Amino acid sequence: MPDDGGRTIRVEALARVEGEGSMYVRLRGSEVLDARFEIFEPPRLFEALLRGRALSEAPDITARICGICPVAYQMSACRAIEDALGVAPAGPVEELRRLIYCGEWLESHALHVYMLHAPDFLGFESAFTMAAEHGEIVERGLRTKKVGNELIDLVGGRAVHPINVRVGGFYRAIARRDLERLRDPLERAREDALETVRFAASLSFPELEPDYEYVALRADDGRYPIERGRIASSGGIDVDASEFDDIFEERQVAHSNALHSLIRGRGSYLAGPMARFNLNRERLSPLALEAAREAGIGSGCDNPFQSIVVRSIEILYALDEALRLIDAYEPPDPPAAELEPVAAVGHGVTEAPRGLLYHRYELTADGRIASARIVPPTSQNQLAIEEDLRDFVAANAELGDDELTLRCEQAIRNYDPCISCATHFLRLEVERE
Amino acid sequence: VSAGAAGGGALVIGLGNPVRGDDRAGLEVARRVRERAPDAVRAIEVEREPSGLIDAWEGARLAIVVDAAAAASRPGAVHRLDASSRPLPPGLRPASTHALGLAETIELARALGRLPERLLVYAIEGERFEAGAAISPAVEAAIDGVVERVLADVGA
Repeated sequence: MPDDGGRTIRVEALARVEGEGSMYVRLRGSEVLDARFEIFEPPRLFEALLRGRALSEAPDITARICGICPVAYQMSACRAIEDALGVAPAGPVEELRRLIYCGEWLESHALHVYMLHAPDFLGFESAFTMAAEHGEIVERGLRTKKVGNELIDLVGGRAVHPINVRVGGFYRAIARRDLERLRDPLERAREDALETVRFAASLSFPELEPDYEYVALRADDGRYPIERGRIASSGGIDVDASEFDDIFEERQVAHSNALHSLIRGRGSYLAGPMARFNLNRERLSPLALEAAREAGIGSGCDNPFQSIVVRSIEILYALDEALRLIDAYEPPDPPAAELEPVAAVGHGVTEAPRGLLYHRYELTADGRIASARIVPPTSQNQLAIEEDLRDFVAANAELGDDELTLRCEQAIRNYDPCISCATHFLRLEVERE
Repeated sequence: VSAGAAGGGALVIGLGNPVRGDDRAGLEVARRVRERAPDAVRAIEVEREPSGLIDAWEGARLAIVVDAAAAASRPGAVHRLDASSRPLPPGLRPASTHALGLAETIELARALGRLPERLLVYAIEGERFEAGAAISPAVEAAIDGVVERVLADVGA
């Protein structure tokens, strides 16, 4: 199609992104006049829902924000409230948290890599059209997801929604012999994961290398960050969760109900698998690190289209780590720390599959929540998504409408945006003047 | 969602989010079916995204999924659909926030040859889905009727 400076492209529904929102790009020739990634429903309703509730309810209520990463919400909520109460859960509790969190990474990443992102690379419009031709690839994804699900099911109490998690630890410690049952499925899944990395690395990637500031946790225990750590960045940030507001600000913008996050005085940043990987990759297990080298990203990964490779490396790591945690498992006794309500403010941050998830709670002396604040990874990445779109469209304006639209959708899916953490539904519009 | 949860019999699956108003409808139906006929039918509530259903209904003779849907005609309207041999109609798209929606999950299972022998879907039209909303009176009024129909479907 000729680029006569008068084109309009609109796509009403962008599939394969969790939640609802919309994307809008306006072009004159190859000049991008506007690129917006819009989000309609912020988690503010959940923050309001938490006000006045007992502090013990926070993990259960926030778990309902997302159908894909409830464990992440529970973990950040627990951390923040424990911080307020001055409680430090015992080592075995922390290990069990890391284990259930591995299950969520497995589920979420497998869903994204295979069902949501792979169809873009292989030229299918959905996982089920892809399944008709590549059933074995989809089955591999489903097997990986299932293992993550079983892990959450077992440690969390039930798969529906992990009810065993509480502030201070767990309601019940899982028995060692029950965890042992997962060993075989996890080992088999690890074989699949090696295959997944090879598959992801074999895809072809559009070019895009923005100059991101990567922001991820970095843990003082030397491990790849999942359930704890300080907030670190490639630009030299190194702070505790309590300093989140000193470093980041949330800004209201007209076109979105979600707040845009940025680094004060600097601008956008990137949270999520690529940020974790680039800031912590030397901390991966030897097997995962070797797989990263073989996949060609051993020295880092700056192309967001290659995030599918990074996710596949994190799948492999989560399996390795889950097996290691099961080997070393000691049932926490008691399964949860004692809690003594105090009037205080607490901050918690953990690595959701999509990146940094920050919670802040103000508690009353009688153990209630006076105020809650939740900053999900997708709203932190919102500015980076818009900048990617701008850069990508500017560099690829010669593409026809269909191809450009498809690539824009793919570029958004690089972020695995979980918009229901901040909202519901996604529509896409590209407009050319 | 555990593999083979159906154990060769009938499985009732309620989908939804309990704190998002009418999105609770499917969960309520599953819970009440379980209370009414605990021995005759297995009923589970699923709050997580639905692609795990492909494992859950493995081996089931009959699976019945109950989910809330965006309002298409009037809140509380109930649609009973047989998904065994054809996709859910495009006009009735369940109002879930899940990445792989119920309709896509069903088609994925069909493509992989992993549908249960028979698959029924009840879609209950809702009117409010925002966080913190209560279930609407129209949807509440529809729930017990769906429970009866589900029990009749499974022969309980």
